[in-house]
Amino acid sequence: MATHDLTPRIAPNLDRHLVFPLLEFLQERQLYPDEQILKAKIELLNKTNMVDYAMDIHKSLYRTEDVPQGSFFFYTWWGLWLVVCDLLRFLADMVERRAEVVARLKALEEAAAPLVSFLQNPNAVQELRADKQYNLQMLNDRYQIGTDQIEALYQYAKFQFECGNYSGAADYLYQYRALCTNSERSLSALWGKLAAEILMQNWDIAFEELNRLKEIIDSKSYASPLNQVQSRIWLMHWSLFIFFNHDNGRTHIIDLFNQDKYLNAIQTNAPHLLRYLATALIVNKRRRTQFKDFIKVIQQEQYAFKDPITEFLACVYVNYDFDGAQKKMRECEEVILNDPFLGKRVEEGSFSTVPLRDEFLENARLFIFETYCRIHQRIDMGYIYTF
Amino acid sequence: MSSRFWTAQGDSDTEEEESDYEDGVERGGAAGESAPHAGSRYLQTNASDSDDSDGQKRVVRSAKDKRFEEMSATVDQMKNAMKINDWVSLQESFDKINKQLEKVMRVTESDKVPTLYIKALVMLEDFLSQALANKDAKKKMSSSNAKALNSMKQKLKKNNKQYEDLINKYREHPESEEEGDEDEEMEEDEDSGSEFEEDPSKIAMRSDSEEDEEDEEDREDSAAEVGGGWEKKMSKKDKLMDKQFMKDPSEITWDTVNKKFKEIVAVRGRKGTGRIEQVEQLTFLTRVAKTPAQKLEILFSVVSAQFDVNPSLSGHMPINVWKKCVQNMLVILDILVQHSNILVDDVVEPEENETQKGADYKGTIRVWGNLVAFLERVDVEFFKSLQCIDPHTREYVERLRDEPLFLVLAQNVQDYLERVGDFKAAAKVALRRVELIYYKPQEVYDAMKNLAEQTEDTENGESEAGEEPRVEESRGPPAFVVTPEVVPRKPTFPENSRTLMDILVSLIYNHGDERTKARAMLCDIYHHAILDEFSTARDLLLMSHLQDNVQHMDISTQILFNRAMAQLGLCAFRVGLIAEGHGCLSELYSGGRVKELLAQGVSQSRYHEKTPEQERIERRRQMPYHMHINLELLEGVHLICAMLLEVPNMAANTHDAKRKVISKTFRRLLEVSERQTFTGPPENVRDHVMAATRALSKGDFQKAFDVIKSLDFWKLLRNREDVLEMLRAKIKEEALRTYLFTYSSSYNTLSLDQLTKMFDLSETLTHSIISKMMVMEELHASWDQPTRCIVFHDVEHTRLQALSFQLTDKLSILAENNERAYEAKIGGGGLDLPLRRRDGQDYAGAAAVGGKWQDNFSFSQGRQGSSGVRTGYGAGGRPFGPGSSAGTFSRDRGGQSRGTGGYSGGYQSTRSAVRGSQMDTSTRMVSLNRGVRA
Repeated sequence: MATHDLTPRIAPNLDRHLVFPLLEFLQERQLYPDEQILKAKIELLNKTNMVDYAMDIHKSLYRTEDVPQGSFFFYTWWGLWLVVCDLLRFLADMVERRAEVVARLKALEEAAAPLVSFLQNPNAVQELRADKQYNLQMLNDRYQIGTDQIEALYQYAKFQFECGNYSGAADYLYQYRALCTNSERSLSALWGKLAAEILMQNWDIAFEELNRLKEIIDSKSYASPLNQVQSRIWLMHWSLFIFFNHDNGRTHIIDLFNQDKYLNAIQTNAPHLLRYLATALIVNKRRRTQFKDFIKVIQQEQYAFKDPITEFLACVYVNYDFDGAQKKMRECEEVILNDPFLGKRVEEGSFSTVPLRDEFLENARLFIFETYCRIHQRIDMGYIYTF
Repeated sequence: MSSRFWTAQGDSDTEEEESDYEDGVERGGAAGESAPHAGSRYLQTNASDSDDSDGQKRVVRSAKDKRFEEMSATVDQMKNAMKINDWVSLQESFDKINKQLEKVMRVTESDKVPTLYIKALVMLEDFLSQALANKDAKKKMSSSNAKALNSMKQKLKKNNKQYEDLINKYREHPESEEEGDEDEEMEEDEDSGSEFEEDPSKIAMRSDSEEDEEDEEDREDSAAEVGGGWEKKMSKKDKLMDKQFMKDPSEITWDTVNKKFKEIVAVRGRKGTGRIEQVEQLTFLTRVAKTPAQKLEILFSVVSAQFDVNPSLSGHMPINVWKKCVQNMLVILDILVQHSNILVDDVVEPEENETQKGADYKGTIRVWGNLVAFLERVDVEFFKSLQCIDPHTREYVERLRDEPLFLVLAQNVQDYLERVGDFKAAAKVALRRVELIYYKPQEVYDAMKNLAEQTEDTENGESEAGEEPRVEESRGPPAFVVTPEVVPRKPTFPENSRTLMDILVSLIYNHGDERTKARAMLCDIYHHAILDEFSTARDLLLMSHLQDNVQHMDISTQILFNRAMAQLGLCAFRVGLIAEGHGCLSELYSGGRVKELLAQGVSQSRYHEKTPEQERIERRRQMPYHMHINLELLEGVHLICAMLLEVPNMAANTHDAKRKVISKTFRRLLEVSERQTFTGPPENVRDHVMAATRALSKGDFQKAFDVIKSLDFWKLLRNREDVLEMLRAKIKEEALRTYLFTYSSSYNTLSLDQLTKMFDLSETLTHSIISKMMVMEELHASWDQPTRCIVFHDVEHTRLQALSFQLTDKLSILAENNERAYEAKIGGGGLDLPLRRRDGQDYAGAAAVGGKWQDNFSFSQGRQGSSGVRTGYGAGGRPFGPGSSAGTFSRDRGGQSRGTGGYSGGYQSTRSAVRGSQMDTSTRMVSLNRGVRA
């Protein structure tokens, strides 16, 4: 079941907050024991400031834990004792942290207060112009808002994000970008904005942000090529959320991933992304031209990454093994259903479907049939049924 | 000639003394008696102990008498010479008497110059002044005589200065001195020891200065005499040193040692200096060094002196010296580890008295030295010794056993450097270790590990025995620097050679310089290839862009590159990647100079003779035998790969065989073997592969496989069965393809079952192979699914048609050429310009994308694409352009440095071959290459 799960490989390239949707999905699919997932969630949350959420999860984790019954009297008590201890310790921790977090939030809020109040005043905001220097000057002169406050705004937004208040974070980051002069900071603000938009599921805005970020990454000169590759890989991972939810995402994903630079990044550091590119290519009927090159890539990367979807392509276009291809196709179905990005469900009335799976299967059959016909003079109709 | 005898005795004296000394017997002032003692050994073989003292005296007397007799004889000679005013012989006698004086002094063990000598000096002085005063006589002298007189004048002046007071004393009352002389000497014999103890350093000082002067005199003498003089003095020096330092250690000061040390170092490298003696002297000095820093300083010189023992470039350092050298290095490390405030440095010249600071000094002490250079030198010597020793002897194996010894040293040096924070140097050391390990498969590595663990006990015992005298337990003087063994003497190896490589290599990648990194990378590739990790090795090779710039590197790195490529090829073959394997190996074989390229023996070239110098240089590059890659295996694998690719290829293009050649080497061999009227049973590797080729081209896979299986190098492979199984499968597949290519025109239909039976292949595999051929349009046929048959479409061209196709191709090229020539004549830039611009754009695009290699590649590709028909010579000309120009460039370089040409020339062909093959066949490699661009 879980053999083709890519979450462990994808997660390191995502923001912590972005991992939650993946874990939610996994929980729903029940690929892993509930407990394991909950623990993973807590671990994630420990590093964020979403204290309340962490407490909820923790409670649910220990509520689900079965207390052994019957003759293991001693163990029962011991086990219970441990659980209680753990829970108490955790709660104490959390309460403490909560206090801390709230205090910190207060402090940051205060620091950023002048700017925030300025921004909330629509009349004042209208005074801003496109010229950054002018804005800074104006803020400084008229509202006594200097770089410190602007910096505080960034910190405040970041903290908001860490606490799970994405919409607030997104707003503040947008404002911040308008005022910020430091390009590094601006870049990280953009990343933050992208994450926030993704988490709020504003796909259109997220897509815009994505393109903006991509431009910056491509044009910026990095200290080492490695950093650039890493940024690209992050970008691609984050973009998965958008592409498989956005209406036109499947074309865009090909556009992005199939660019030389990005394909290279995939090949060097993240071959598992080939799955998504392969799926997108299969589903997209108009992209046949790029297909041949992609097959070669798959062939090369066979040693680094293999999953039923790429194997399916190899079967059809490299080995011409049609029986194998059909077998793989069935496996692919499984994989798609269990993939957080590919297996998105759409509720239609009383039953839910996975639109991507249906499209994939249709196209895959088409591929097999096409190739099969190309090399056959005569085909038994009975055999075609089996496709 | 008597002097020689005495010298010999003097030598044995020192030996005797040393051994006594090492025994640690408390001998008090007996040192002075050691000379007579040595003598008595021969005279008193059956004398009882009680006689001992008596006998000793007698012998001493006789020896002394003899010396004095000699001396007085010389004085007589001088007198005679004076009478006839013969300054030449006088000069000779003077030299002689000086030498005799030395010996007398040694025999009598006294610091007092005999009166006889003084008397002679006075006499000489008087005569000289007399002669100088007499101007007329001087004018009458022959030129040689006058010259001798002049030099005598100077010599005497210099010589007499040191005896000035004695001479004056003698002049005052000549008689009394003479009388007391005898008695005094008698006394001296009795208690010479006690007298010595009073002032040992003074003697040393005096004798030193005396020597210095003699030194200069000697230099004035003829060269022949210099040699003899030196040897004698050496032994004397030894003796004096021993004496001087054997005494109460508290009296040896830092200054004494330092002075002596400076003195020994000063003569280093001079003509006639006994190298081994120098090592011994310095080794002795390390024992008496006063401070750790001084000991360190001296040890550094010991090591460099040991490096000097073998002066020639081609020979290697004697093995026992090498071992001692390693031990010394370990002691150096001991000191360094123990006293962390001592810094070793070769940039700043340390202050004069830096080493005077004692062990308790807290600040940093700088000592001149370069650990890494020493270590590298030790490694080089080890390597050279392996090059020189005949690999088929026991000696070679014995020598190989010393490897752990070096490894432990390197490990310790690296640890130390890392602790000090000098990662750059540590990376260099790590590279040395890597280079000892990279070619070892796991089995060999395990063997080495076991060896290191086993010999640990014996080795320890040995080293202890060697070390103890150094530590001076018996005497236990607090003044001497005792160095406990701090650093481990036993190498620690991780379980797996890969782990070790990973640790070392990652250190190098982080801190090494360009060359170190490149070499480490190559070793890494080689090692991965040995472990059958082809994809990792290939990725490393491509990502490092080593193919690009290897021809700018030094030759030994180029050789390493060749070795790595060869191993990569073998690895690809083992894991069943035939095309990749061929790609790696064909480059090596294209020039027919494999041996030279791999540095595994000198290949004779028919066309140009090498100068002896070139040959010598080449010999110096050779790999030691145990690092060789088996050439038969290599050749076999190359030819088999070529066969598997080329046979179906030839079958597919029967009409124009020349058009698509995969392996030129193979084609040539095939032609040669086809030209033979009778083919005998296969003898060598080539014959075997050719026989297999003949079978394969008929589709007879069984025979082809049998022939190849009978080659005996398969036993060299670890997973022999698997490889042969793979090979069998490949041969079957290619046989099927060849069969279909060759005989498809003879069939209308062919059933799948028939084919699977014929070629013993599984149904799915057969189906997939044939389907692939159909899709690629290599085979004009299609499946008939219900009957499971192949139906052939008769689209085969007749020979006439095929030839006319060729003709049209050629005509179109001709037309194109014509057009261009026409344009050039008219000066029609109109058509030219856009073309060029397009090229430029391609080029710019490529340049923006990535490295040099891809540039070249996509450039040529772009050209080909942009001008469809031009490919004909576009492709032909393009790879040649840079290749040949670079070739001449490197040949120029070769001319300068003599003998580089061979290697770099090989490189050029290699490179263009790679490029060619990558363009043609394996787009795989190139497009993977793209993976690294970003």
